[in-house]
Amino acid sequence: MTYELAIRLTEIIMGFAFAQQSIEHFKSAFDERIIFIPRFILAILLIAGLYTPWVVALLLLLGMLLLNRFQGPYNGGADRMSLLIMCCISLTYFLPTRQWQEMAFGYLAIQLILSYFISGWVKLVNPQWRNGQALVDVFRFSAYPVSESLRGWAQSPRVLLVMSWLVIIFELVFPLSILSNISLIIALVIAASFHLSNAFFFGLNRFFWIWLAAYPSILWFQQRIFATIQ
Amino acid sequence: MWEALKLVLPAIIPSWNFFDVIVPSPRIQYLILDSENNSKTEWKEFRPRPQHLSVWKMIVRMFWNPVWNESLFIMSCAERLIEQPSQHSEDEIFKRIKADIITNKKVNNLNETTQVQFRLVFIRREGDVLKEKVEFHSRSQTIIGEIVR
Repeated sequence: MTYELAIRLTEIIMGFAFAQQSIEHFKSAFDERIIFIPRFILAILLIAGLYTPWVVALLLLLGMLLLNRFQGPYNGGADRMSLLIMCCISLTYFLPTRQWQEMAFGYLAIQLILSYFISGWVKLVNPQWRNGQALVDVFRFSAYPVSESLRGWAQSPRVLLVMSWLVIIFELVFPLSILSNISLIIALVIAASFHLSNAFFFGLNRFFWIWLAAYPSILWFQQRIFATIQ
Repeated sequence: MWEALKLVLPAIIPSWNFFDVIVPSPRIQYLILDSENNSKTEWKEFRPRPQHLSVWKMIVRMFWNPVWNESLFIMSCAERLIEQPSQHSEDEIFKRIKADIITNKKVNNLNETTQVQFRLVFIRREGDVLKEKVEFHSRSQTIIGEIVR
């Protein structure tokens, strides 16, 4: 994937994610609408590819206003990934040389790799994750399951133990997937399926869309690194 | 400036430690007080989750999920109220409870003396048993009008 195509795809998916998030706030209080309506308009401009450098810069500014408005992220990691992508894309437009611009975009790819690896590592060092109890607790009493019937999964600790280890192993080996283009694509399909299941079971739909927006960066990064080595 | 940096830095240098430990989980409960009749309701859970959600509704929620996303935000506010208490978190929770009461017409004869109060119940596992502990009681506020201290 070329650098230009990867940047453009990131902008389109991010624009879609922001438009979808913003529409959800159209019926909110005035102090939220006043930020989310302009954000929606900017997201559409981003998808259309109009005035992109300034649109991204303004979206970044609105992202900071939202952090201030909600005194932190509205939806935890999804908002943090949104800000990270906006920072990196902004830098690709405003840094002076192509080398620096590629480093900014590469930083996004590295953070994406870390997002999986560190998540896997913190689970691996926690005995509650290793024996499957953590995932049992998530289903049994955490605030995340979207329906009461899903809490029934807590009655299947062996299944959840297997699921826990599959998640830990996948997250830990994810960095190795960049060794080839095919393995990376397979890993990204599995990762997207993982986010999709989290969206279905725990209602984390914003994570799904915004993580997808970071995938073009790693597809470009993988080819860029191995083209340099060869 | 430092406050702004504290908000932005975790996004630029994220920790990515999702679900590292399963902490006690908050539930928000509220009751309605009517000072005119000197009566109050039982504590009710705010936005209890449905018994079952169809796959079709899960698919729709991929694109349109405002209530659940708002619920996730107020759960964060509930956790923040215990970790770093602030008026902002309490106000955000109040705002959503009041909006739900008014929008869903949960109170008959809503008047200017009708008040609402919420509490945070944290659920934790001790051994094999789930235990509930009330860790925060809000002040009461009128649903329409000013704060009653």
